[in-house]
Amino acid sequence: MIPSWQINRHALIWLLLAFVAVIFIHSAHLPHWIIVAALVAIICRVQRYRGAWPTPNRWIKLSLLALCLAGLFLEYGSHLIGLEPMVALLVSTYALKLLEMEHRRDALLVVFLAFFVAAVQALFDQSIGNAAYILGCFLLVTAALVGLHQGDTKIQPLRPLMKAAVLLLQAIPLMMLLFIIMPRLGSLWAVPIQSHSAKTGVTDTMTPGDFSRLGRSADLAFRVSFDGAIPRQHKLYWRGLVLSNFDGRQWSRSAPDDFNYGGFDKGGILQWFGRQTQPWDSLIERLGQPLHYSVVMEPSQQPWLYSLPTPLPKSTGIALTRDFRLLSSTSVTTKKQYEVDSWLDYKIAANDVSDYRRATELQIPRGYNPRTVELAQRWRRQNSNDKALVRKVLGLYNEKFVYTLQPPLLGKHSVDEFLFETQRGFCEHFSSSFVFFMRAAGVPARVVAGYQGGERHPDNYLLVRQYDAHAWAEVWLAGEGWVRVDPTAAVAPERIEANLEEALRDKEGFLADSPLSLMRFRHINWLNNIRLQLDSLNYSWARWVLGYDAIQENLLEKWLGSYSPLRIALALLIGGGGMLGLLALWQLRHRFSSKHDELDRAFLQLCKKLAKAGIPRISGEGPRAYAQRVAEQRPDLAREVKAINSVYEHMRYGNESQERLKVLKWAIRRVK
Amino acid sequence: MVERFGKFFRYHFSHWVYGRIPPSRSIALNNRSLFIFPSKAGFGFLLLVLICWLMATNYENNVVFAITCLLISVFVITILHSFSNLSGLKLSFVRATPAFAGEQLVVELVLHQEQSRYRESLSLSFLGEEAVATTLHDQEYIHVKVPLYAPRRGIYNPGRLTLESAYPLGLLRVWSKLDLDIGCLIYPQPIFTSSETVNAHSRGNGPLQMGDGSEDFVGLNNYQQGDSLKKIAWKQYAKEQGMYTKHYADYQDERIWLDWNDFPGLDRETRLSRLCGSLLQVSATDKAYGLRLPGIEILPDNNEEHRLKILRELALFEEPSRGDEEEQPFRKKPL
Repeated sequence: MIPSWQINRHALIWLLLAFVAVIFIHSAHLPHWIIVAALVAIICRVQRYRGAWPTPNRWIKLSLLALCLAGLFLEYGSHLIGLEPMVALLVSTYALKLLEMEHRRDALLVVFLAFFVAAVQALFDQSIGNAAYILGCFLLVTAALVGLHQGDTKIQPLRPLMKAAVLLLQAIPLMMLLFIIMPRLGSLWAVPIQSHSAKTGVTDTMTPGDFSRLGRSADLAFRVSFDGAIPRQHKLYWRGLVLSNFDGRQWSRSAPDDFNYGGFDKGGILQWFGRQTQPWDSLIERLGQPLHYSVVMEPSQQPWLYSLPTPLPKSTGIALTRDFRLLSSTSVTTKKQYEVDSWLDYKIAANDVSDYRRATELQIPRGYNPRTVELAQRWRRQNSNDKALVRKVLGLYNEKFVYTLQPPLLGKHSVDEFLFETQRGFCEHFSSSFVFFMRAAGVPARVVAGYQGGERHPDNYLLVRQYDAHAWAEVWLAGEGWVRVDPTAAVAPERIEANLEEALRDKEGFLADSPLSLMRFRHINWLNNIRLQLDSLNYSWARWVLGYDAIQENLLEKWLGSYSPLRIALALLIGGGGMLGLLALWQLRHRFSSKHDELDRAFLQLCKKLAKAGIPRISGEGPRAYAQRVAEQRPDLAREVKAINSVYEHMRYGNESQERLKVLKWAIRRVK
Repeated sequence: MVERFGKFFRYHFSHWVYGRIPPSRSIALNNRSLFIFPSKAGFGFLLLVLICWLMATNYENNVVFAITCLLISVFVITILHSFSNLSGLKLSFVRATPAFAGEQLVVELVLHQEQSRYRESLSLSFLGEEAVATTLHDQEYIHVKVPLYAPRRGIYNPGRLTLESAYPLGLLRVWSKLDLDIGCLIYPQPIFTSSETVNAHSRGNGPLQMGDGSEDFVGLNNYQQGDSLKKIAWKQYAKEQGMYTKHYADYQDERIWLDWNDFPGLDRETRLSRLCGSLLQVSATDKAYGLRLPGIEILPDNNEEHRLKILRELALFEEPSRGDEEEQPFRKKPL
């Protein structure tokens, strides 16, 4: 019979602390019963260590396992393939393993599970705070691992933690080197993603009220760094979606755009970065120099990306669509960094627009908004010039319309009611009514959704928040092509020139969903500074760590001369070898200075003193013989020298503590 | 095939180790004598790293990627820590307590260091023997007693001592196979015979004095006037067989010879075992005893030193050839 293994106390303490810490960060997306089960597992483990409870037998363990599986099935039912069910399964395995830990092998498995479960948390949240928390978990888990391999349990319980801290700290330089140099392969196969996270930001439909809802949130949408100066505020139109379909109430994307994204490339709808140029690309005339910038987008769970017109993608996995927007090959589920070139001066389809496109952009539902249709046709007859017509409609808005976050509700004929009755609205009302009006007048027009403007950070980047969400219009004018028209600018120019806060200062509703946001306290200087500092830190984290994939190749090419496997391997070898060499010197420094060296130094000091006094040590003379000789020649020193020799001998050959060395040195100093 | 390969590998590995760490009574551990390799847990850890890497790659998640790098880095850093846990440690053979074959033998070692450092979770063992765990806590030295099985009489070399440690994380095993040139004196396994036999044999050869002794009953004599009443054989008298006195004999100087020739027809080892058993019995009395082996004679005496001397002779008599040591994989001469 093998003697049953018992985990030592320190290892158990650290193992349980690590368990609590790891489960705690997952608690947000775990069913409550798993948390309870984990607590029960801890109690069981502690009671078993104390000897209060017996080892659970096989049947108890099996029924617990069955209970957990049943619970998971009930909780997640049909959608078992997903990130949350997987994590729940992992955490229950972790708890069960903690419960049945019988051998050292089991304890090791618990430790490895702890590492893994902590790492999985990063799939849910990549923020800098969360990463630091995971590092803290790793410290505890490593301490548990050290505790498991510590022979003596009588020593202080903090020793495993100290050792773990030393290990992790020493590991960090090498980790950074690996992180910088190791090539990223990109997704190897499709993996389950988070299923319960809400889509955020601009959606691909627009009904009255959508954008005013976004106006209540100060959440970040994306950050942008420009090469050079940030363009003027009124030029910052971040195009995300083109909405061409109108059913009387809701704007949506037109049918042919409505495809699945995964690698879709049929019919030349998408022009991927790095692939061949599509024929329709010739419709764009790009004028002047491009503006290069890099966007770090917050997860939106949606595939469209934002860019200034007219964009050309500069990162892999991004395509230009036929309506000159950017599209990602996968939904943006984690922070995503991409590089874009944009030409702010452009002409698109200047000379002609295809019949299909014209039909799409002129479509209006029958039987809706008769008053608007009637007015549009009347004005059409009065103005043969499309441009003049646009100016006239904008003049209408300018007269007596009100820009507000809390517009009145609209009925079936939403455009009619807005134009002729309520006349209070947010950007979606203005853009929607404008496009409807233009279409009714026979001018191809469409709604464009995205963001407008952004906050300029002192560190020269732009912060675009959800309340910057905006909708505007594009009309097709012969000879000029697709031209941006923003009816909101006609009503509230300060919205476009400054920002929404400026336009809605002191009005109700702004930031209503972010009551604690630091954005609310921008007028308090020091708080605002802290907010900007924090954002700068987060942005650096997002750009240099989370979005590192996008810049790795260029960066390494700059540093190593070329981005080749040989150079990478060499850099790893030389860099890693250098770091390890330095660490090895530090780690083995004890070999270069030992207690005996110090003892011998002290003794040599005595010899020097005595040599000055005229009694040099003869070569080959042992300390004892020397002391004897000194005692004979200088009886006044006899007592001291003999005492020193005795201490020396004890220290040299016996097991004397370090304290005696101090006494010895002191005694030697006193010899005159 | 695998077995043959394993044998081949072990053979060459042992030669290599022999070349790196020649036998010595005191060996300092350094990069020449220390070996390091991932343990089973270490390979488990590498599997964990692989899984994390796959997760990081598939989710294109750089935080998980950084975590993967951290795990790899910790693994690499641990090499240094594992190594420095043992490096600089000195191991010296102090003595081996003699034992009888078939019993447990204790090898006493000293672990010492010039630095004052913690040496965690050291484990010492001989091949196939139970390991002894110890820790050095900034002491200069500690004594360690490593038990092992004493297989046969003679000077026994238990082969290389394995000193190993998995500290700090158990992912890497650092070890050294040290030949401390240990010679353990092992006495023959004693076979005890009844005390009569010892005496009978001894008497036949010893200078026995048939005088009026008091130790051993020799026979009955007819009662003569003046015989001590104490010596009258009352049993016989009661049976009305006549008046007898019990007659006792003493050895001249109470000397016993443990003699090789007392056990005719037995092989060498059995004879030595029997002699050893007799010795243990005799030495428990206060009689003097001597030893006669072919070519060796130790005159009778009775003290501890004498006893150890005889035991030593028994242990080393025509010591079994060193051929046994061929079984010790780490004792072969280098090619």
